[in-house]
Amino acid sequence: MNEDERKLLTLRFVVVALVFFALAGLEGTIMRFRISNMLTEFFTEKHFYAIMTAHPFVGIYGWAYMAVMGAFYFLVPYVLKRDIYSKRAAYASFWLMTIGVATVWATTFITHYAPLYTLYWPLPAAIELAGWEPISLVAFGLGAALIILGVLTFFFNMFATIFLPVRQQEVVANGGENVRAGAAYVAKELLVTAFNLDKLRAKIRGIPNYVEKVFNYPVFVVAVFRGCVDTTLNALVMGGFGILIIIFGLSYLLPGAGLSFNIIDPLIYKNVFWWGLDLIADGNVLIFTAGTWYLLVPLLLGRPLYGESVVRTVILADLVVSLFVWNHHMLADTPQPLFLQIQGQLFTWGELLTMGLTIFAVLMTIWLARPVRYSAPLKFVLASILGYGIGGTAGIIQANYSMNRYLHNTQWVIGIHGHVQLLVGLSLTIFAAIYALFPMLTGKSLNERLADVHLILMTVGGLVMGLSMGLAGSAGMLRRTLYPMGLGPYEPYMTVAIIGALLMAAGFAVFLLNVVRTIGIKALIGIFLPSKPRVASKTV
Amino acid sequence: MTIQNIIELFYLTIFTTIIGFMVFFYIVTRKPPRGGVSARERADGGAGRGMDRRERQWLYFLIAVALLGNLATLSPLVPAAKNALWAQEQPVKQVVIEVRDYKFILPEKPITIPAGVPVEFIVISDDLTYGFGVFRKDGTMVFQMQVVPKPYENRITWVFEEPGHYDIRSTEYSGPKHPYMYIPDAIAVVGGGGR
Repeated sequence: MNEDERKLLTLRFVVVALVFFALAGLEGTIMRFRISNMLTEFFTEKHFYAIMTAHPFVGIYGWAYMAVMGAFYFLVPYVLKRDIYSKRAAYASFWLMTIGVATVWATTFITHYAPLYTLYWPLPAAIELAGWEPISLVAFGLGAALIILGVLTFFFNMFATIFLPVRQQEVVANGGENVRAGAAYVAKELLVTAFNLDKLRAKIRGIPNYVEKVFNYPVFVVAVFRGCVDTTLNALVMGGFGILIIIFGLSYLLPGAGLSFNIIDPLIYKNVFWWGLDLIADGNVLIFTAGTWYLLVPLLLGRPLYGESVVRTVILADLVVSLFVWNHHMLADTPQPLFLQIQGQLFTWGELLTMGLTIFAVLMTIWLARPVRYSAPLKFVLASILGYGIGGTAGIIQANYSMNRYLHNTQWVIGIHGHVQLLVGLSLTIFAAIYALFPMLTGKSLNERLADVHLILMTVGGLVMGLSMGLAGSAGMLRRTLYPMGLGPYEPYMTVAIIGALLMAAGFAVFLLNVVRTIGIKALIGIFLPSKPRVASKTV
Repeated sequence: MTIQNIIELFYLTIFTTIIGFMVFFYIVTRKPPRGGVSARERADGGAGRGMDRRERQWLYFLIAVALLGNLATLSPLVPAAKNALWAQEQPVKQVVIEVRDYKFILPEKPITIPAGVPVEFIVISDDLTYGFGVFRKDGTMVFQMQVVPKPYENRITWVFEEPGHYDIRSTEYSGPKHPYMYIPDAIAVVGGGGR
């Protein structure tokens, strides 16, 4: 792929991601109204739970993953000064993700299949108890499997882009003999580099002053491949669950072949599920965010990253911690062994150290660059740090063995922790990258004043919504449920949460206006036409 | 004051501190530093191998916060930790509740238990994963646990300090019928209001 093709690919990913962001936002706003027992004539209770099931798939895989993929398809070759390994794989990942997310959404919308993203066994397969149509299991599982296939294709492409060229140089240097450059090599190199195993080997062999391979790569690329380790493991687990649901769905469709859901142990299932899922929440989200900050802030300020040698180790610590934190989702499961629950709590506090050091490095980089002229992306980075600070602290509070007894499954978890992290922390990081990349991809810059309005509305809206949900949670209001008999004492909190959601929606509308004003509707549509790229090829 | 009030107060302090700090940071960093940033700092700012002194101090601070946080939340200061980790007495009563087809099956209505003594709740699900939460009449939660289906038994021991009536609600989504798993006044705590 040449640079223009990569730009076009990135723009396609980002535009589709923004469509999914809008859809997730619309779903979220509808849910806010419906929780307050409004819009009842339009959205039945079953429909509400179906929306609640689709919402995280659309928001995480449709918005966050696709935006990140688009950005990485441009940034990794840009930073490494080389091409993407496979154009076919790049487009395959685009279509698999788009079709997969659309399939999950359509399945829940049409059939009202609603096992939620938690998929606690045996709910996804309990067709008689919960009232699911067997075909909905197959369609939902298929959508999930397509998404996961898209994710795996993307990461294979990333790993090959990062690691294979080095090997190919070695192949050339050796005259092309006795050296194999393939998937096995990429996997081995990834494991060695991601976990600093070469350093370990050097220590065992007593090699003095050995500099580990990870220092051959820019910090951003280190974050990409270490974050991708988490995401690949997550994809394998989630893909497994997708296939499991398909198998059960098919067994119900075939006469006399219905499987008993008792063949699966619900507690072991839950452990595997949370181990896999948490590799996203406490793994790649934090690592990719850190990598994006580490790339953008020095670029925007024109100075080196503070403590650059240390942050590689911090990213490794983040990766290791992410492999052992899943138990903080099982603190309310009393059959779970106590030592695992305490272990989950202790490792979660480890994230305070890794995220604390990450934020420190970014803020010190800004501090040492005074006086700073805050461009739009830099303001978004600062606001995203605010989001992670506020949302992360709430997360650490709820992830304690004792505090979880009062906060588990309440609006606290999804409000002040989940949504503040995802909307103010993660989403503003993605928007920072969009504002920074926009001139490079289109040759035009977005209006800074409109960007300010976008930033203020998203940040204030996200914090207002998150805090009001959080306070409702500490007052006892549960998540993942309607209160059909009335919200009672929780009603004022939910009214304020609606205002927050509408502020965010207004912020996103301002962003769209900014994009359309800058490049025009025709250019936006032109991104998806098969003709030559309509975007500027000149880099800024 | 309930434990939730303390959590709110503590968290709101952190919330406002973080916002205040970030606004302050934004304003200050737009201005040139007094006396300027030293040439060495401007050049690398700790970019050499190993940890910068300031970074190391920050790490020590974070470690101290983590240690204090773990000690505080695992200590008997928090009722949930006190009942689960530091309990000295055996439960004086066991309450077995079954859950089946989106319904709690109570041993009696209301479940009458004495105040100020440990009581063990054993909740067993025949089919799905549910939740078991006990709520005060003002909507605040006393405690909760997940209800993992058979073959597992879900047990929690609690000491009710305040006499009165309490509601039971499923605290985990288990399908669209889940919000109706609510029994008001399911528990009556009687007695002297404390040990």
